[in-house]
Amino acid sequence: MAGEEMVRVAVDQELCIGAGVCELLEPEVFELDNDIVISSVTGDELLPRARADVVVDRCPSRAIAIVEEEL
Amino acid sequence: MRSTADMAPPSAAAVDTPNVTDPSLYLEGIPHDRFAQIRATPGLAWHPYEDGGFWAVTRHAEVRHVSRNPELFSSAIGHTNLWDLEADALEARRSLIDTDAPDHTRLRRLVAGAFTPKNIRRWEETVRAITGELLDEFVAQGGGDWVDMVAAPLPIQVILTMLGVPTDDADYLVELSNYLVEGTGDAQSIPPDAFGNTTELRLLPFNSPASHALFEYGEGMRQQRQNDLRDDLVSHLVQAESDVERMSRNEYRNMFHLLVFAGNETTRTAISHGGMALAAFPDEWQRVLDDPGLIDSAAEEVLRWATPVMHMRRTATTNSELAGTPIAEGDKVVMWYASANRDEAVFEDPFRFDVSRANSNHFAFGGGGPHLCLGAFLARLEVTVLLEEMAKRSICLEQTSEPVRARSNFVHGVLSVGMQPAGGTN
Repeated sequence: MAGEEMVRVAVDQELCIGAGVCELLEPEVFELDNDIVISSVTGDELLPRARADVVVDRCPSRAIAIVEEEL
Repeated sequence: MRSTADMAPPSAAAVDTPNVTDPSLYLEGIPHDRFAQIRATPGLAWHPYEDGGFWAVTRHAEVRHVSRNPELFSSAIGHTNLWDLEADALEARRSLIDTDAPDHTRLRRLVAGAFTPKNIRRWEETVRAITGELLDEFVAQGGGDWVDMVAAPLPIQVILTMLGVPTDDADYLVELSNYLVEGTGDAQSIPPDAFGNTTELRLLPFNSPASHALFEYGEGMRQQRQNDLRDDLVSHLVQAESDVERMSRNEYRNMFHLLVFAGNETTRTAISHGGMALAAFPDEWQRVLDDPGLIDSAAEEVLRWATPVMHMRRTATTNSELAGTPIAEGDKVVMWYASANRDEAVFEDPFRFDVSRANSNHFAFGGGGPHLCLGAFLARLEVTVLLEEMAKRSICLEQTSEPVRARSNFVHGVLSVGMQPAGGTN
């Protein structure tokens, strides 16, 4: 969508508890490894800021952050 | 800990805090009028309990704050129930529930894979088959005890199937779960040596000899799977337990205990109250029958309405402030989900059962943060499939007897409630 700011997201793998909420909300961006049960960002890690804010807020272990790009 | 000088109630309002912990109150249902009174009082209410007391956190916003800040409010100190445990008892009984990171993260990851939304979806057909069978039998019998016929067997059969435990033992494990619920109250119906128990009760979860029986059962399963690994959750745990860095023997037995108990008792409670709500609000159920698009929001409303676990306790790790009330390091802080789920500030007309309620920000699975109910997505699946299968069969419920409720301030349990399909017996 024109004018929608895209942001980069990252998972802190020390904090992740593998609840899978991110994978439910944004399956294109997050995927849980079924062996180690830790989420990671796959493929395109860019999300519109509003959707990124939701997934950051909904992560139970606060493991997801928006990576603010240095300009 | 609060010094003796600090133990005096901090404000006049606190003196009047109505009692919400007496287990016998809950025989009549959640004391909602008392919680509403506490919610309406500014600040946090100091609630006397045994020799001390706790901060009663009753509003949605503040429950959320406590739940989402585990570094301020610990699960590993004291106990997550209202009463403190001695150090050796806490160690012996410590489960996923009673840990903070990094122990919590390690234990949670051992089982999390089985319960992610994506992996839970694989169980949908299993859940649907079990549900359909139970409902068909319920209708064929012309109704009966809703708990015994539907609410209890559905979740126990599903969790046992996931674990790899024979479903023939479902009745025995439900019986043990009922004794565990008794242990959260103030009156146990079985003697300390029941089930051959010789362990001091204070070392057993819920102070119940039924915990000994459940530990024994889990140990039997461990030994069986040790030389016969299968594609089930017990085998997965047994493999983890073979590496003490990943999970100790004591952690295994508490994990098995937690999965069996929490995996059946909580969803049973949701389905029990769900059935009662559908019978009490037939117009709301008719809306779902007319518009199956409402199933998902109806399932969320059942969960909010039921609030199967009514509170969890945390312990302050440091001095802080909440709602203008100072909290001292060591204070007990109790999150009353039963109250937050009726908070007028968040839920419009909170005592109305509304299948189209847009705000599904309920605390049936806790108030957010890392202790988010492990089985949240399984419970959602079970409640959703139940409603779908009831709608498919056009089952409308009529309540035929008063519920017998659990004597517990912790588990919102229903022991039995009579129901029949509308139109009466065949």
